[in-house]
Amino acid sequence: MADDDVTTPAVDDRNPAASGDAVTEEKKLLEYAVQELPAHAVKELISHEVCVRCIFRLFIIHEGIYALISPTILYSIIEKATEVEAVTTNSSQKSEVKSSICSICLGVMQFIYRDQTDILVEKDHAADFAMLVAESVKEKYHEIASFTLEVSLPTLITENESVILSHMKKKYASEVWFQEKFSFEHIISVKDALKLSITPSLETLLGVKSSVSDFRIRLTYEHVDAPSAENRMGKNQCNKRIKSGNGFVNETVQSGDVSDFNFQLKKVGQPCHMILTCSTAPVYIGGRYLKLSRNVSQTRWIIDDERKGEASVEELIGENILPMCNGDGYKFHAAGREDIDVRMLGSGRPFLIEIQNARHLPSEASIKEMEKKINSLESNLVRVKHLKIWGSQGWSLMREGEAEKQKQYAALVWISRSIKDDDLEAVSSLKDLKVLQRTPVRVLHRRSPLDREKIIHWMKIEKIAGSSQYFLLHLCTQAGTYIKEFVHGDLGRTQPSIGSILGCRTEILQLDVTDVKMDILNE
Amino acid sequence: MTTQTAADQESQPPVVVDDDSEEELHKLLLPNINDLPISPPSAMESNFVTYFAPDFMKPEHDQYIYRHANGLCVIGLAAGHVAFKDEGVVTAVDFNVGKSNRSEIKVTGKRKRNAQQFEPNTALCKVCTNHAFYIVRCCVKGSLLEVNERLIKQPQLLNSSADREGYIAIIMPKPADWHKIKDSFITFDEYKKLRHF
Repeated sequence: MADDDVTTPAVDDRNPAASGDAVTEEKKLLEYAVQELPAHAVKELISHEVCVRCIFRLFIIHEGIYALISPTILYSIIEKATEVEAVTTNSSQKSEVKSSICSICLGVMQFIYRDQTDILVEKDHAADFAMLVAESVKEKYHEIASFTLEVSLPTLITENESVILSHMKKKYASEVWFQEKFSFEHIISVKDALKLSITPSLETLLGVKSSVSDFRIRLTYEHVDAPSAENRMGKNQCNKRIKSGNGFVNETVQSGDVSDFNFQLKKVGQPCHMILTCSTAPVYIGGRYLKLSRNVSQTRWIIDDERKGEASVEELIGENILPMCNGDGYKFHAAGREDIDVRMLGSGRPFLIEIQNARHLPSEASIKEMEKKINSLESNLVRVKHLKIWGSQGWSLMREGEAEKQKQYAALVWISRSIKDDDLEAVSSLKDLKVLQRTPVRVLHRRSPLDREKIIHWMKIEKIAGSSQYFLLHLCTQAGTYIKEFVHGDLGRTQPSIGSILGCRTEILQLDVTDVKMDILNE
Repeated sequence: MTTQTAADQESQPPVVVDDDSEEELHKLLLPNINDLPISPPSAMESNFVTYFAPDFMKPEHDQYIYRHANGLCVIGLAAGHVAFKDEGVVTAVDFNVGKSNRSEIKVTGKRKRNAQQFEPNTALCKVCTNHAFYIVRCCVKGSLLEVNERLIKQPQLLNSSADREGYIAIIMPKPADWHKIKDSFITFDEYKKLRHF
């Protein structure tokens, strides 16, 4: 609603003594620059409701875009230089021109937009707008090392600019200034102009440099009368081709006339909506985890609204780390997995927690704090060690290592007869034993039926005092070996198996992973 | 008094156990021998529910259906099958029954391409003894995922462990089909009673 419009008072560029000189200096430079402009062409652009900054943009006058001068003064400079009689004789029209939405940039370069709460914001120049952006960023993000500014604009801006440019080409192509000075390739785009005009102020206000950064400030402009660039591209690829480059310009030059021009230029009465969003690259915190329970799954496991197991490693670690990073969410990645009823002991298993949009990068001390917190949870289901911040390369490193690395296990095995001394030797003498495993019945419903060859690097039987039929089987295998099936044989579908080697029936009662041999996250 | 307690707490070992210590790990691995059953349930017993189809289509043609929690059914000859009474020796297993040889169809992929859809009365194989042969059937409607090819070269597996390595086939029934047919089977206890084991 027009009545609700709020116009925040601009920084007064005429009064303050400090900036006064600079403004005067800028004004002088600008006055000098505008003298070169073709008065009649500028006049025409103004009559088509093209804003001053867009005019400067089209004529590649940088001073005009970035000057900390209010639009009213910008106009007066242009008026003086081009002797716009109509405007000088009618002062009321001046303010009208100022507040009308530019037919090219739809208000973007006029710093007029509606914010997220639909309130109309109107700033006199870039510095004022930058201050709004900076304040909004600082509200949520306190530690920024640098930033990248991204701008997304409605395609209508490009379309209208093309229409205006092709019109100008058609009308002024024969004139000297056009041939000598006007260049379609060098026009400063709205996107670049906006970025260039607020970046210096943002750098000062945020106290950091703009660069290729993980921290992104994104200004998304959308217009009710025009779909956003993203929407259009997805729907119609050929649209993009027509718009991009000068193809459009040339085509319309050939066929267009003045009535086309008026038809094509889509004027809007309303400014864009602008949404400011910030995002950071994910923070990776990695380490190794131990799972001390046979009723905890590695990842959240819910079937038909029913949770399997009492908790998950993913949640126990993620939920504790997330608040310390003040992020939006987390993803859990691990180097392989174990069944819910298998404990992960010894070395622990490498994992990475990916914290999305973390607003706080934890210090080394607070990482230690996290580790302590998780390890002292009363439930004592999961522990972590060697916790530290990893770059995104930890991810690929973990994936690479996953397939080739060796895993060490301890299985509690029962055999259908008494253990003989020969058994110990029979088992320990087997080195790098090749085992052929048909996809276990246990997982056959969801995996492809295949014969997989796996290697058992070594095995050792550890007798248990007081029992003649139970023993601990320590074994080191290639990653991907189905251990339970290697022990009980899976209806003879894994061959050989402990049962076939010892020539009796074997059963596995418990399984623990004791070592995941990988070169990462060892300390 | 209070200061002493605080000091005591400080001197306590940290909550985090040194997991690298071999001893600590070993302690975790060793079971309490008193908690262990003398004879533990087998992998079959703990992972499958056993069903029996006595006199399936013919008298004393007893078959078992071991159903895994994932829905797959392992099909085989029950201990009371007539084949084991005929001097107790199975001499050959032939999967070349019906239109196709059951052992020659290779099912591939997660979606189980090539799997044949069979009815409960579809023949799976022929089990031969010295004097006779018996047709083994699917018992359940579903996709045949695999037959036990080892039986071709080692038919004696049926004599030594018909309920394990001597299984005949693995079938994947649709849940609805399973629910329709499962009530026609009997439990292990009922089967034992029936055959006076």
